[in-house]
Amino acid sequence: MSNPLFERTVTALLQERVICEVSDDELYNYLLMPGNQDAVNRFLGQINRTLRQTSAHDAFVCAYQDVSDADTKEAIRQQFREVANNLEAFVQFLRLVMMLEANERPVLPGDKLSEGHILDRIAAAPALEARLRSLAEKRVFHTKRSDSAGQIRSVLSSLEKMGYLKPIGTSGSLYRATGRWSWLYDAMTFIQTHEGIQGAEDTDSEQMRLH
Amino acid sequence: MARAQDAQSTLRALAKYGEAILEAHLRNGNRIPDSDENLGLIETLEHHRLVWRIGESEDLQLKKVLVQFLDHITESERRRYASAQVHILWQQLSELFEEYKEAKKRSALSDIDRLEGEIKECLADVIEDIRNATEAFATYINTGFAYITDLNLRIRENEKVIERAGRLITLFESFRIRELAEQAGSDAFLKRLLLRHLPATLESSQKNLSYALNQLRKMLVRMREDQRLSRMVGAFEAHFVNHPGFEPSIDHLDLRQVPEFLNTVAPFRIRGFGDIYDSADDLELIELAAKARTVPLTAEDLQVPDDVASVNFDIAGETEPEEDDPVEEAIEGLIQMLVDGHLGERTILASEALASTGLEIDKADWLQAIVSEIESLPDGDQQHIEVLYHQSHHGVYPDNVLVSDLTLKHHHAG
Repeated sequence: MSNPLFERTVTALLQERVICEVSDDELYNYLLMPGNQDAVNRFLGQINRTLRQTSAHDAFVCAYQDVSDADTKEAIRQQFREVANNLEAFVQFLRLVMMLEANERPVLPGDKLSEGHILDRIAAAPALEARLRSLAEKRVFHTKRSDSAGQIRSVLSSLEKMGYLKPIGTSGSLYRATGRWSWLYDAMTFIQTHEGIQGAEDTDSEQMRLH
Repeated sequence: MARAQDAQSTLRALAKYGEAILEAHLRNGNRIPDSDENLGLIETLEHHRLVWRIGESEDLQLKKVLVQFLDHITESERRRYASAQVHILWQQLSELFEEYKEAKKRSALSDIDRLEGEIKECLADVIEDIRNATEAFATYINTGFAYITDLNLRIRENEKVIERAGRLITLFESFRIRELAEQAGSDAFLKRLLLRHLPATLESSQKNLSYALNQLRKMLVRMREDQRLSRMVGAFEAHFVNHPGFEPSIDHLDLRQVPEFLNTVAPFRIRGFGDIYDSADDLELIELAAKARTVPLTAEDLQVPDDVASVNFDIAGETEPEEDDPVEEAIEGLIQMLVDGHLGERTILASEALASTGLEIDKADWLQAIVSEIESLPDGDQQHIEVLYHQSHHGVYPDNVLVSDLTLKHHHAG
């Protein structure tokens, strides 16, 4: 007996989609039920895959069970490469949003991003305009537009294409952040640990410990 | 007289600028920005000695006396310190009950009366403060401490509030309502307050408080995670500035140590063939197949007429005659002849039949059309036709069979 929700969920997972409340609320709710998780996992297990949650527990992804195979390793490397190559641009974007909102909270799944709101804030602060310009020069967000509105649109629509944002309504200027950010933060944490990148606070506390 | 006039003028000033003063008190930390639009307000408040400031360039600050008054009328002060207030009131209440017991022992009727009144008032205050104290926590949850912009300070404030909520829960648990109720004597109103209203308020407040505490703890976890992420973003930003062109090296990663949630799969499509082996799917498949062929548009198709001289609508019941297909007619004739047994015991080659029709059609198509037509016949008719395939194996792919002709014969069924 076929189960359409099961089929859609498994298909989405195998298509490398990050399933969260924002991107696919129906599938996310389906996966929240332990019984459904078991069913999906039993299926995925037979093809060397498994269901995983991001460390913030707000999104589901499909992971390889055994990564010893060369093709599997290459596939994972490819994903890391995409993050690694675009990491500087993502960090700049996150910092820009934190400065726009004047808080120290990075973009989190469920957050609303409005093109108009960003534009208003940038218009009021020339320093942010320079940051946006620099962001629009990054390969992943690249645009030939020289005006702030065009640059913001290009950045946001690139993030939408990559699955980090989901448009709300039909205006195309309002977005909601998806669970892919959670995955990115997990990947960044992994890279940070692996590369030994220390923050100012970490360095300070280390120095204090040494004294 | 002059003093009364001054006081009245101050009250009028407060009324006139009430909105701006409240705004300063509730949302601006009691500060009034030194701007042109606030000129009238500042002059008035300075005139009534209700503001102060250190330097000329600094914003004006509401005076303590006014702030206290605003705290009182907005009840924010009472709410903020309601938990401490409950504790004090509860102590007062216990003392009043002691006195009440004493007065009853000595049958001092006027004191009993007075104390009953005081106990009632004190109890009503306790009930109100318990409500206020728990409501204050709901406010914290609703605002999410958003009024504090610095994340560290916000975390500290959250921790403080959690501590305060914890203290309040302990305080509520220390209340011995039963013991007090036993001392209430015969006063029905007092008994109602002690046995019904106070326990009900306490119960709902404890419930709200437990919920608030849980939410506050969750909020704290979230804030700490925000702080960690924020620091991480900062660390990467600094790293990119200090190491221009830095790209995390990933080729030497030992993938055995990759956390499982990070080794997400490469996408692959799950596809299958349409089930042409199950007749249950036929209708859907036929429809799909009909739409599958893409016919390239010709120049004629692309030409859109500028206008149409007239439009003819179909008349109800009108039928459009379909043109006869000569190939289909020929095959139908051949099949009918075979089914009816007009050939007797003789056989006929499909290629010969094609030649006799004079149709200019590819032989392969002709053979295919005959086989399809036979397969689409009802079972009863199908078994009257015997088909012999003239076939040979493909030179390179021996599994493939090449059919060059068909021998057709009437078959006597049964």
